[in-house]
Amino acid sequence: MILSINQTLLQFLEFKRDQVEGKHFHEILTVSSRIFFQLYFVPLIKTNRKIEEMYISLQSSNGEEIPVMVNALSKKGVEKTVSECVVFPIRKRNEYENELLIAKKESEDALAAMHKANAELEGTLKALEAKQEKLLELNEQNRKFKIDTKKELELAKKIQKTSLTDPISNKLIQIDAFHRASSELSGDIYGFYQIDEHRYGIILLDVMGHGVSSALITMSLHSLFQRLISFGVKSEVVMKELDLHLHRLFQNNEEARHYCTAISLIVNTDEQKIEYTNAGHPPAFWQDTRGKQHELKTTNVPIGMFEGIEYTSNSISFSGGDRLLLYTDGVTDPLSFNHLSALLKENASSPIGVLKEKIIDSLDNQKNKYHKSDDQCFIIIDLI
Amino acid sequence: MTQDIVSRNAVQVKGSGTRAIIFAPGFGCDQTVWNTVAKAFEKDYKVVLFDYVGSGQSDLNSYDIQRYSSLDGYTQDLLDVCSALNLKNAVFVGHSVSSMIGMLASLRSPEYFSNLIMVGPSPCYLNDPPEYFGGFEKEDLIGLLEMMDKNYIGWATMFASTLLNDANRPEIKSELEDRFCSTDPIIARQFAEATFFSDNRKDLSKVSVPSLILQCSQDVIAPESVGQFLYQQLPNSTYKKMEAIGHCPHMSHPEETIASILHYLNKASVSGALNG
Repeated sequence: MILSINQTLLQFLEFKRDQVEGKHFHEILTVSSRIFFQLYFVPLIKTNRKIEEMYISLQSSNGEEIPVMVNALSKKGVEKTVSECVVFPIRKRNEYENELLIAKKESEDALAAMHKANAELEGTLKALEAKQEKLLELNEQNRKFKIDTKKELELAKKIQKTSLTDPISNKLIQIDAFHRASSELSGDIYGFYQIDEHRYGIILLDVMGHGVSSALITMSLHSLFQRLISFGVKSEVVMKELDLHLHRLFQNNEEARHYCTAISLIVNTDEQKIEYTNAGHPPAFWQDTRGKQHELKTTNVPIGMFEGIEYTSNSISFSGGDRLLLYTDGVTDPLSFNHLSALLKENASSPIGVLKEKIIDSLDNQKNKYHKSDDQCFIIIDLI
Repeated sequence: MTQDIVSRNAVQVKGSGTRAIIFAPGFGCDQTVWNTVAKAFEKDYKVVLFDYVGSGQSDLNSYDIQRYSSLDGYTQDLLDVCSALNLKNAVFVGHSVSSMIGMLASLRSPEYFSNLIMVGPSPCYLNDPPEYFGGFEKEDLIGLLEMMDKNYIGWATMFASTLLNDANRPEIKSELEDRFCSTDPIIARQFAEATFFSDNRKDLSKVSVPSLILQCSQDVIAPESVGQFLYQQLPNSTYKKMEAIGHCPHMSHPEETIASILHYLNKASVSGALNG
């Protein structure tokens, strides 16, 4: 209850003395202040016996809010306890405090926003780390896969190499060859077989493309030509069978279709004759003992290209000392036809092994790596 | 677990009775506000005092902004205390917001409570015209929160001076020096929001535990119309209008508060005996 109030405060509040004296203190408080007064002022004055610098809002008779600072001291009397309150209006200070609170709120909001952004950033970072982890895992898998694949390819390469025939060397004929894959596996393949006492069958094939798919086709063709040639089948028949084989292989799968160039020879040392079929293959060199070079040119289209093609053969007669060089375009592309021709001519009297090394050296010395991207293969035949 | 709750909520058990009586402090205060009233019950009851997490001597480290963002977290505190002490059919005395916390706890676990004694309760502080008059407009409550913000620095120094002036003021009871109402400002503010913006009117009709509404005179925080509303809505409730003025009769008028509680409990036990 308000027991007494001074004139100054009455003027502030625009109340008349009898309007407030004897009334509850709530009469001069805003609604918010009434709760605050009950929650804090009453318990505090009771326990502490004093209040220092409490901020509350008074309310004037016309409803105007007056922010004030209150100090109070409680004195226990004989009959009742009296609290003396001193209030200072703090309108200006209050504005200042409001500004401070707004600034505080803003900085708190900014801090919260920063925390939020930080949390988001951390989330993103974690996601990124997880992704990186996954990537490393995949990389490792990929690396293992690569190693496995490499091992597999090396094994496949060995298998392809073992299918290649060994050099032949006797008093009537010498045959040697060179075979190098651009990648692990080659699309080039060759074979030479002694059919009987006087006859030798020789074949060189180049499946379009290189790598695993081409190599698989060479292996499929190899099993067929090995049997046919060893049986002494004529070169044009060998070619026809290989052509049929390729068409059968791809009859239901146009996308996988590969064609193939090939040259096949039957050398008869007794009759000193060669029958050959050239299915779209680069012409083979035939160099006679006087050093003159001839070409065993294309007789037919490549195999596996058009169905129903009949293959033909040509025949040449040779004499002792003649030399033949069969090759794939992987040899002439880097060296050029003329260079190979010149090499052959310069080494007319060199033994077969020396010529082979010279050609290999020339191939190895080619600076243009682009040309090494194709498989390289050649066969030298010395007729004695 | 039991020990954890006892230290977390600064639980104190006093008295020589068998039946338990729990005193729960109102908003912003700790258990010391009950000292005078509770003492009167020590002879016949097992008196249980505690602090909600965030106030008094409770463990501030257990404060969880999420958990205590609504009254549910505080209700869980009360249930935890009941469970830790293995209470049954206890008398619950709650001041102000604790009346509602006790009411909510009784809905979840009625077996803990025999009676709810509500000192200055309000199920909703906001006006909801035309049916309900809680006493406040939203701006009033926001004004209160602002006032809390502005008094923050004042609080710290005020309580420091209490401690320093101890020797000069021997009349102040030692237990009141400690941390009376001196909650962390951020926690106090969150508790204020949870308290003053809560609306538990819909829960009242579901209450099964008998209750006493102690309505103070001239209580701005919980006006008479609110007390009457509670009396109408709470099944099996008793309404007692006190002479005590203000919102804290347990502190301002402890004798009347004690007498009102005892009178109700005696009548309740007589009627309980008759019915039983």
